Order: sequence, then structure tokens, then C-alpha cells
Amino acid sequence: MAKILDKNHSNHTKLVKLRQSYDWLSEELIGLTEIYESKKQKELNKFIASANKKLEKSAFLACDKEGYAQSELEAKLQKYDVRAYMSQRKINHSAVKAIFKAVAAGEDYSAVLEKRSAEMKALNEKRAKYIAALESKKQAFLAKNNVTDTAPYDALKAELDAQYSAKKKELDEKYGAKQAAHAAKLEAKRSKISAQIAELKKNSPAAYTLPDDVLLEVKGLKMYFGGLKAVDDLNFTVKKGEIFGLIGPNGAGKTTVFNCITQFYKPTGGEIHFATKDKEVISLTDFEVHDIVLQGISRTFQNIEVVKEVSVLDNLLIAATRHYSSNLFVQMLHLPLLRREERMITARADKILNYMDLYSYRDRLAWGLPYGVLKRIEIARALMCNPQLIILDEPAAGLNESETKDLAALINKIRTELGCTILLVEHDMSLVMNICDHICAISFGRKLADGTPAEVQASKEVQEAYLGVGGE
Amino acid sequence: MCAGILATFAVTLIFKTSYTTNFAQGVISAIGAYVAVELSMKNGYPIWMVAIVGVLVAFIVGVAIDVLIFRNGRYVNSLGKQIITMGLISIIIGVIPFIFSVAKMEAVPAFPFIHLTQGLQIGEIFIQYNTIIGVAITIILLAAVFLLLQKSKWGLSVRATASNEIVAGMMGINTKVITAISWGIAGAFGAVAAIIYIGNVTLSNGYVMTTTQINAFLAGILGGFATFHGPVFGAVIIYGLNILVGCLCIHMPELSTWKSAIVYLIVMLLVLWKPQGLFGKKLVKKV
Amino acid sequence: MSNRMNKYLSDSLLKQESERQGAELWGKLIKRPTFSFAVFAVVMILIQALSKAGLIGSSFVNAVGSTLIFCIVGLGFCLLLGYSALASLGTAGFIAIGSYSAYYCLAEWGLTIGIGFIVAILFAVVIGIAVGYISLRIEGIYLAIVTLGISEIIKELLSALCDTIKIKGTQITLLGIESIKLKTDVIYYGIVVILFILMFVTQNLMNSPTGRAMLAMKNSTSAAQAFGVSLMKYRLMAFTISIIYASIAGFMYMLYIRYVSNSMGNLFTLSMSLNVLGAVIIGGMKSIWGTIGGMFIIYGIDQMFLQDIPFFNENPTFITLFCGILVIVVVMFYPGGLAQLALELKYKLASRKQKIKEGIYGKDLG
Repeated sequence: MAKILDKNHSNHTKLVKLRQSYDWLSEELIGLTEIYESKKQKELNKFIASANKKLEKSAFLACDKEGYAQSELEAKLQKYDVRAYMSQRKINHSAVKAIFKAVAAGEDYSAVLEKRSAEMKALNEKRAKYIAALESKKQAFLAKNNVTDTAPYDALKAELDAQYSAKKKELDEKYGAKQAAHAAKLEAKRSKISAQIAELKKNSPAAYTLPDDVLLEVKGLKMYFGGLKAVDDLNFTVKKGEIFGLIGPNGAGKTTVFNCITQFYKPTGGEIHFATKDKEVISLTDFEVHDIVLQGISRTFQNIEVVKEVSVLDNLLIAATRHYSSNLFVQMLHLPLLRREERMITARADKILNYMDLYSYRDRLAWGLPYGVLKRIEIARALMCNPQLIILDEPAAGLNESETKDLAALINKIRTELGCTILLVEHDMSLVMNICDHICAISFGRKLADGTPAEVQASKEVQEAYLGVGGE
Repeated sequence: MCAGILATFAVTLIFKTSYTTNFAQGVISAIGAYVAVELSMKNGYPIWMVAIVGVLVAFIVGVAIDVLIFRNGRYVNSLGKQIITMGLISIIIGVIPFIFSVAKMEAVPAFPFIHLTQGLQIGEIFIQYNTIIGVAITIILLAAVFLLLQKSKWGLSVRATASNEIVAGMMGINTKVITAISWGIAGAFGAVAAIIYIGNVTLSNGYVMTTTQINAFLAGILGGFATFHGPVFGAVIIYGLNILVGCLCIHMPELSTWKSAIVYLIVMLLVLWKPQGLFGKKLVKKV
Repeated sequence: MSNRMNKYLSDSLLKQESERQGAELWGKLIKRPTFSFAVFAVVMILIQALSKAGLIGSSFVNAVGSTLIFCIVGLGFCLLLGYSALASLGTAGFIAIGSYSAYYCLAEWGLTIGIGFIVAILFAVVIGIAVGYISLRIEGIYLAIVTLGISEIIKELLSALCDTIKIKGTQITLLGIESIKLKTDVIYYGIVVILFILMFVTQNLMNSPTGRAMLAMKNSTSAAQAFGVSLMKYRLMAFTISIIYASIAGFMYMLYIRYVSNSMGNLFTLSMSLNVLGAVIIGGMKSIWGTIGGMFIIYGIDQMFLQDIPFFNENPTFITLFCGILVIVVVMFYPGGLAQLALELKYKLASRKQKIKEGIYGKDLG
């Protein structure tokens, strides 16, 4: 038995790796269009800019000689002003130096100020003279070109239009071909990987089975701390795509259940089965705590565990640590492979930040951000690793009523749009009763009731656990 | 060996009350030794008196360190506190030559309570009176302090502070005073250890207690800092191993250069076997 | 009309912009950390060149050289302490490994420098993994003590093997050819180049997924674990990297100083480990420049300048005292070290400058 399990385990590790590269390739394929589109647009923009420049001069000459001459004048004046500004700065700098010197020597520095104002005056006079000269030049130009002729402009425009469409077609073809080739390459890789996955799956016998619609099954879970039975013989199943709530009075062992699922605690007894993306059923107790995230389970924490000394973006990147394939050597030299991976993962993080309405905090340090934002960062981080199951540990703790409402909407959104299954522990009964499809109530590590919110609310045991045993 | 056990207790006391390993323990004890030696060599006071003065000075230095530095650095994390104690080493080592004229000498001769040639002859074994006095002092001090820890109000306060400083403060224990006194006592114990230690070793510089201190830390790790008695037993084990390996070396002289390495290696293996220490408990972090 | 003109004007502004971009490319290059590392390396090489020309005393260069060796150790410590929050007090022992492998490879076995270098690194990796596997099960504050013990073991073992190690100039050869002897100044250049490469590598590691994972581990072990960071793996990685750096430094130390005596010199002692740790703390645990600055304060200043002043020459412990006070003040008031202090000063200066200008000319003048 142990041998089969061992073999299964190694097969499973391979499978996870393959699945990861499969997902990676899919992501790359989706991103491909964007990359090539942006490359194409860059070249086109270059072309449009140069064409516009040509066109604009011609347009001015054709219809608006006055305007053209004026703009020419302004442009020259602007250049002049840049130079003038430099000399102004020079004057100011020397004045500051002289003043400091004078102050240090204890002398009066009014002479310096006078000198500066004289120099400034001279500068202004010079500028006025220059403007007059430009004005006369403009008048001369207008006198010389008095006829309006739109023909050259039209001809140029037609020519440029033709050039543009030709260029666009050429670029379309060029980048289309490139993209197709790249996509084909990725596709080939992907199909190879999917073949490997199928092969592997065929070879590894199923050690555990779950019904098709079940994602997570907790069976007879026991967690004892010394003599304390924090969780005792707990059973529940989480179906795919539902929001599952775990409720109970303080000290009921809810968080302990979570820690058992994510292997922070090794359960004393019982089994936890999980259906991965490849519909392979695994027993989570076989895995180390840091390998759980690879199986498609990510979690948030009761007392926020955001890394405070890095930016919000980096916090999200940390969650994708296992998605990098570059080894230490590549990282030491910052080779292109790492740069490519960084670009892709940053793009993913940006997408999630936008989705979670956190983009404005992207480059801020997580230090000192408001509590509600930190909670959202935690959820965003949980989304970073493409999870199937998100475990939320008291997501509404410390939030006010409106924030809780927003959170409920967000959780629903994540469930419907991203297709994640959500398992949450919560004290806020309004939140739980509103959004959960299924609730399990526990007390002192034992299950009290299990069912839809209405059923659980009606259950007598639950009422007793919360309100005490009804007396006479 | 007696010096090592006392030093271990001092290190443990500070670890429990201030949540830091006091790397300056060795040099604080050295101050006590220097005071004693200085007074005795310059003014010729009797040894019992200078020893008590030295211990008192070390007590005051310990309290001063807590009041001046650690009380103001409460928000420094435990690593930062460790590094502060390292800074203290540099400061004390830097200060010693300015204060003590004996520190300018190449090496101060050994400084026993009773001259080393005197002792008891039991059969073939010769035991110096000095050693007997050291053992007696150690046993009396340890017995007294453990009795105090278990029975007295002070001991209860120390144990409460050690297990949770904030809660202890809320229960009306003046944790500031407790920590300061603990530092003082640790300094005093260290000084006693140093004075016993220099009974048959020359006092060459402020680092004289370094080896003892390293052994004390290792004893703490070996016994586990979770309890007060663990490290003391750890120290007994380490020095016992030293003696055992020493006996082995008498029969196999080629081993003698490897003596301390062997002892350390055994200790490391024990730590590998029980990372929490022989008397330690494993703590499960709540997430 | 004005609309069109504005368009045109903005075009001409764009042109200026593009001209400015040319300058900015240069600015970007300057802002790259690698550029500043290169400048540092060039300055260090210039010091040696100037001393050859007779402008700088050779004792000054020697002081700089040995400080640079400790900078190498400091870089490894930066990753270990600043990024993984693991404090090691075994540095001296790990430096000793490098020195002894240099001695055995070059003087005893007659190997070339290149092979000796690789052997030193291999030794470091093996010992790093073995030691790390034992000591990294123990967390935080205990780790320093265990590494201290391990360093003692290493020291005892090595001095039992051979107490005094010495390398002759003729034994330091490149490619095993007797005629190509490497003089001390060539070794100095080697140290500078190695330091430069390691600065580059360290900078890259800090900004890589590995660096981020280490930071995550430092701040919250549970979050790090939940997102796939294996604590043991990354701790071991940081630990081994720091030991490799220390070993390289020990190797270069042996080539540069060429003589170590365990019983006489008291070189590889606890105080060496403490000095390295103190320098990294003073400089700023997370900053490469801070670490190098800290090393120059602790090792550089007294050897380079103060030893010529009679007061310090008579009271050598004064420097120790000064370092101790500095360490405590920095830890208590500037947990980010000198790097943080420099950053704050920079902002303060900039705002002060702006205020003076505004006071003289009014607000709109830049």
C-alpha cells in the first residue's frame, strides 16, 4: 500500500508540475495577442506621428498661413525662452552664491540684488527685441505667400493615406505571421503536455475517490492538543462552486479546522480529500504545508499577515513564488528567462489589482495602509495563485457594516466570475446567512448542524450553542 | 564548572525576563572580577571583602544597563536587543583599560581564595580548598535562588514576568523593577562566577569569561530555555562531558587536541535530536 | 486656430522632450545600481594605482584591501540578516574555512588559485548545508547561539589540524605555472573584481523571487508557508549563500595577508563575528551600500586614519568603545541603519534647499 501511495505521490508531483506549465502556457497564449498588438501599435504610432508632422505643415500652408506663421514664431520664441531661462537661472545662481558670501562675511548684500535686477532687466529687453524681429519676419512671410492653394495638401494626404494602409497591412501580416508561429509553438508544447498529463493519469490508479461535484471532503477529522480535543470527529463536504460557511461560538475549533486543511497543523486523525484541477483526488495530509498552495488551495489569515516592508505589488508577487521556473543561478544573473516570467506575473498581478480595485495602491508600501485595504490585499494575494478553493478566515472581522456589504458582494463576484469555491469562517451572522449556500455549525469541535442557512438557523442545537440551553 | 553553572543561571534569568540572550554577560562578570583584583592588588584588602565589593559593582552595572538602555529600547525586537548586548561588549571592553590599572598589565596572576597549593589529600586525589569553596558557594547560591524562585513573592513575580510580561504588568506586578533586579542578580551571579573562575586562570583581558559564556549559551540550548532548571542541568551535562572526555584523553593522548571539539559535537548532536532542548516544550503557533 | 497651434506647439515640445530623453538615457544608466557598483570598483582600483604612483601610502591601501574583504562577508550577511532575519555568530568560523582551504590547496597540495577557489566554495556549500540542517531547525534567537557553538567546533578542529598557517608568495600561482606569481597588488585587484561581481549578484538576488520569498519569511512565516515558501529551503539557501561569501572572503584574506596564527593572533574569534554583525547593523541590514559603509566605519576608519593619531594609538580600545556606542545608538534610534539616516538626510536637504530658494525668489522659480 505504501509503495502505491509513494508512486502516486511522485506521479502527483509530476502532474502538478505539468499542470502548472500547462496553465502557464495558456496564460502566455492569452497574453500573446496583447503583446503583438502593442508591438504593432507602436510601429504604427511611429508612422502616424511622422505622417502627421508632414501633413500638418502642409495643412497650415494650404489654409491657414497666418496661423502657420504665428506658430512658427511661437516655436522660435519658445526655444529662445528655454535659452533665456537658462541664463536667468545662471544669474540667480550667481546671485545666491554672492548673497551667501556676503552674509557669511557680514556685509550688506543689497548691491547683489541690484545687480541681479539690472541683469534681469537687460534680459527682458533683449527678449522684447527678439519678438519684434520675429514679428517683422512673419509679416514678410505673409506678404510673400498670399495665394491659397489646397492641391498640394490633398495630394500629400492621399499619398500618406495610401502609405498608411499599406504599412498597416504589411505590419498586420508580419506580426500576424509571427504571432501565429509563436502561438503554434506554444500550442504544440501545450498539447504535448496535455498528452503527458493524460498518460500520467492513466498510469496512476486512483487512491481515493470523490463524487464528481465534490471539491473537498473532511472525514472524521480529529485534532487534539494534548488532552484538549479542539476538533473531534468532524465530517463535512464542500461542493464545487459553492460558498461554504463554517460557524460556531468562540473556541469551537473553526480556525483549527482551517489549519488542518492547509496542513499548518498535522491532524491527529481523520482524512481530508481534495479534487485537484485534473480531477485527481488527493489526501491533503500527504503534503507539506508549503505544497498545499500548489494543489489549488489558498487562504487568508485571521490576523492579517501581509508583508509590511514591501509594496502591495510585491506582496502579490510573493504569492506567485512557486510559479517561477527560473532557478537560483538565473535569478543571480537576472537572465532574460526571469525577466520574461517577471513580466507575465506582474501583468497577472496588475490584472488582479484592477479587479480588486487596488491599483491605486500598487506601488505603496503595505506599511500603514488602512485595515480594509489590507484585508482586500489578502484576498488579492489569495487569488494570485489561480486557486480552486479559497479559504477565508474571518474576512469581515474588524470591518464596519458598509465594508462588510462590499465584502459580501466581492466574495459573490469572485465565486461567479472566477469560478472559485469559497470556504469561510465568520462571526458576522448577517454575512454568513446572506451569501453562504451551505453552512456547517460546530461547537467544541463537534458538528451541530449542516445544511442551508435556513435549516441551520432553525436547528435547535445551534440555538442552544449560541444562546445557552433553554431552562424552565 | 561551578563558574559555568552560575553563568548559565545568569544567562537564563535574563533570557526569561528580557527575552534576549545577553552576550555581554561575560564582560559584565569580568568587571566584577576586575574590581576585586584591582582593590586587592592596589590596596591589599582581604579577598572576602573585595569579592563582595566586586559582586555589588556587577549588580549595579547590571541594573544600570537595564535602566539606561533596555528600558528605553522596549520596542526593539529581540534580534535588536541581542545586538545591543553585543554593542555593550564593545563598550565595556573599551572602558575597562581606562578604569582599571591592572588591565594594562600583560596578565594578572591567578587569584584564588586560598592558595592553590593547599588542599585536602584523600588517597591519591588532591582537592584544592579553593575548589571546595567554589563548589560550596555555587551550591548555596543555587539552592537559595531556586528556593526564592519557588517560594517567595519575588520568585512568583519573576516567573509571571517570564511567562508573559504584559499580563504580569496588568496583574499589578512592577515588571520594570523585576527586570532591573533580574539584570542585577544576573550581573552579581556572573561576578561570583568570574571570581571563582579566575581562582586558577590568569586574567588577561575582558574576554576572560568568553568560553564560559559560550558554554552557558550552549547549556541553555541543550537544556531548553523554557524552564529555569533546564539550562542548569544542561551546564552540568556539558561540564560532565568535558570531564569524561578529559578522562578519555588521559588514556588516548592523541585525542587531547580534539577535546573541546568532541564535547561541542556531542552537544550539537543532542540538540539535533531535541531541537527544543532536553527539558523544552514545543510551542504551536496560532495562525 | 489656437487649437491647431497648440497642437503644433505641443509637437515642438515633444521634440525637446526627445532631446531630453537622450540625456535621460544616460540618467537612467547612472541610476542603475550596477553603474554605481562599477564606479565604486573603479575608485577602489584607482586607490591601488595611485599608491603605485607613490601618491598614497601602502598601509592605507592595505587597510582598504582588508576592509574590502570584510565587505564581501557583509554582503552575505545582508541576505542572511536583512532578508531572512537569521542572525549568525559563526562568521569567524566560516571565514576560517576559506582561509584554511586556501592554505591547504595552495601551500600543502600545490594547486592553482582557480581550483583552490572552487574547493573553498565547495567546502562552504557542504558545511553550510550540514550546519544549516542542524541549526536551522532552531528558530530566531537560538540560532545565533547554535552557530556560535558550531563556529567554536570549526575553530577547534582547524587549530587542532594546524595552528599556524602561512603561504609563501611563490606558492600563489596562476594556472600552475611557476613563473606567473601573483603579487599582493594583483590580489587586491582580484578582491575588487570579486566584490563587484558579488555586489551585482546580491543586488539581483534581492530583487528576485528568492529575495521576496525571504522577506516574506522574515515578516510572516505563516503567510510565507501558505503561499508555497518552504522555510527550510529558503533559510538553508540564505545560510549557505552567506557561508559561501564568508569562505570566499577567507580565501582572499589568506592570499592577501598570507599569515594566520590561531593561538597567537586570536583572529577567528567571537569578536570578529560580532564586528561583522555590528557593521551590517550600523550600515543598514537591507542595503548593500549601507553594509559597505558600515564595514568601512568598523574596519576602515581605525586602520586607515586613526592609527596615525597618537591618542588612538595609545588607547586602541577607544575605537571599540566608539563602535559599541554607535551600534547601540543605531539599533535603538535608527533600526534601518545608516542607509535610513542617509535617506532621511537626503530628503531633508532637498526640502531645505527648496525652502531657501523660495525664500529668496518666491515660489514659482525652480
